[in-house]
Amino acid sequence: MQRGYWIRSKPLYDSLVWQTPAVAHLVIAGGEGGIAVLKLFQQMYPKDPIQVLYTDLATANKNYSDILQQIVPEELELCDSEESLLNNLEQRLKDCTMGTHFYVAGSEAFMWHVLQKTRAAGVQDVDVQKELCGTLARPVYCVHCKTITRDVHHNVFPCSNCGRHLFVRDHFSRRLGAYMGVMVDAEEPGNIPQIEEVYP
Amino acid sequence: MNTPAFKKETFRDDYTFRNSPEAIRRFPFPFAEDEYMYSVNIEQHVSTNPGSVFEHAIDIDEHYIAECEDRRLTLERDPTRYIALPHMMDAQWDMVELIMESLSADYPQWFELTKNGDQWHWVNKPLEIDQTFTFGDTSTLPMEPFEYISRQVQGDWIIMDHRDDDLFADMGMVTSQADWSIAFDAGMSFKEWHGPVPQANEIGIFDRALKYLLHLQYGSPVRRLNWTMTVNPRLDTSPEEFPLWGPDNASVTPENVGEKVHLRVELQALFRLPRSNAIAFSVRGYLISLDELVTYPKWAKRLRRVLTNLHPDLSEYKGLDLYRQTVIDWLEPLEDGAELSLGTQPE
Repeated sequence: MQRGYWIRSKPLYDSLVWQTPAVAHLVIAGGEGGIAVLKLFQQMYPKDPIQVLYTDLATANKNYSDILQQIVPEELELCDSEESLLNNLEQRLKDCTMGTHFYVAGSEAFMWHVLQKTRAAGVQDVDVQKELCGTLARPVYCVHCKTITRDVHHNVFPCSNCGRHLFVRDHFSRRLGAYMGVMVDAEEPGNIPQIEEVYP
Repeated sequence: MNTPAFKKETFRDDYTFRNSPEAIRRFPFPFAEDEYMYSVNIEQHVSTNPGSVFEHAIDIDEHYIAECEDRRLTLERDPTRYIALPHMMDAQWDMVELIMESLSADYPQWFELTKNGDQWHWVNKPLEIDQTFTFGDTSTLPMEPFEYISRQVQGDWIIMDHRDDDLFADMGMVTSQADWSIAFDAGMSFKEWHGPVPQANEIGIFDRALKYLLHLQYGSPVRRLNWTMTVNPRLDTSPEEFPLWGPDNASVTPENVGEKVHLRVELQALFRLPRSNAIAFSVRGYLISLDELVTYPKWAKRLRRVLTNLHPDLSEYKGLDLYRQTVIDWLEPLEDGAELSLGTQPE
């Protein structure tokens, strides 16, 4: 493909910035997403109520529970796993009202798990601020067996369920929270291109 | 077309699909000129040329029964080819109305629709279906309304919800696609959905197409043609089944190219729907083998010129790279360098 070609379904991520005024702010982060929370608290501090949900993640190179405990002045909840964070979020969303702003930070897989919860509560993806932190690892959906492999670092990888070698495309589904993976050697079985770590 | 005998044929395994001479003559050949690049190329979907594929809003041809059967087989293997997000129920009934009304009006010899208030009686003679139901009451049909009716019509259907000045692919029956997945793309905005298409974004195609479509009026459907090529007359060239049909792309030889390689033309029509304000996007595919296509020398020469001049990105995107040159070489003896008349007509 030529220079200038990009697939428009690929999400672009930004840096978290407080959106004011707001009824309330809900910040959700995992693993290396902790640094985005710290950056938020270096900005002008909103007067509206703030809640922060955070979990350390085993896959992260650096975790932030300790330092967040010192820096975040109020309403910080530290969860012990992604699963318990998502359950906690689900409960809190029931009490959120219109005018609440949402901020999410972490790996792509983490963020899109969070976004599935917020979407179920009626929040549109575009209304949630997202900051990608720590890794470019991608969640990838196998279009053949419909399984999502969570943290993919390479251009081609074996599907965690069916084992086919999948090429990772830039085409992204917000509904599934994953990039598309397509069998790379379907036309010429065994003809697998060089495998490279392109999403470190 | 008057009354074609519906053919018994297959689009998989032994591939017995063939076109009759009449079906070849009415094939919607897409190339009016010797070069091809994407354009919006939308026109009013009005009845033109009796007997052509443009005569009726929804074209029924000799392949009707076989294509419906192929859809049934595909859904049996993979039910996710049909999807309807929960907010699309009004659009589901819109589709029942659109398809039943237009088929019964255009092909009364095969389809009958009788309405008594909300009580509808639908008869589909070719598929031997006789159904009484209450319009608007899903429990009176054997399955969701859109799945029910889209199993009885050729071509893929994608229903786009209109909100926030955008169109979202929130419902679809997609079993004969040129390598894209409704299970993956469901819920996408117009530009996300078309994201992978090369070159077209760069020249503003999707900006203009979207602007145009957002103003589509009820009762004034529009259409365009699109094309690709397929090895073997296979309807289900989905990414899901790529492991199954991908090897075929490497199977083309100078000896079998005329029989194996098919031009695949999509008649795309768009209809505004009255209750949901959604837009129905029908993608009706027509297949023709090169052996059948070259019965008209003008088409043979034009196809060769288009393929020779094709932008490499489009060739790659359409999956032609493994056999495009074989096709060009095979068509070469038919090329006499003559200037061809503008337009898609066979002669």
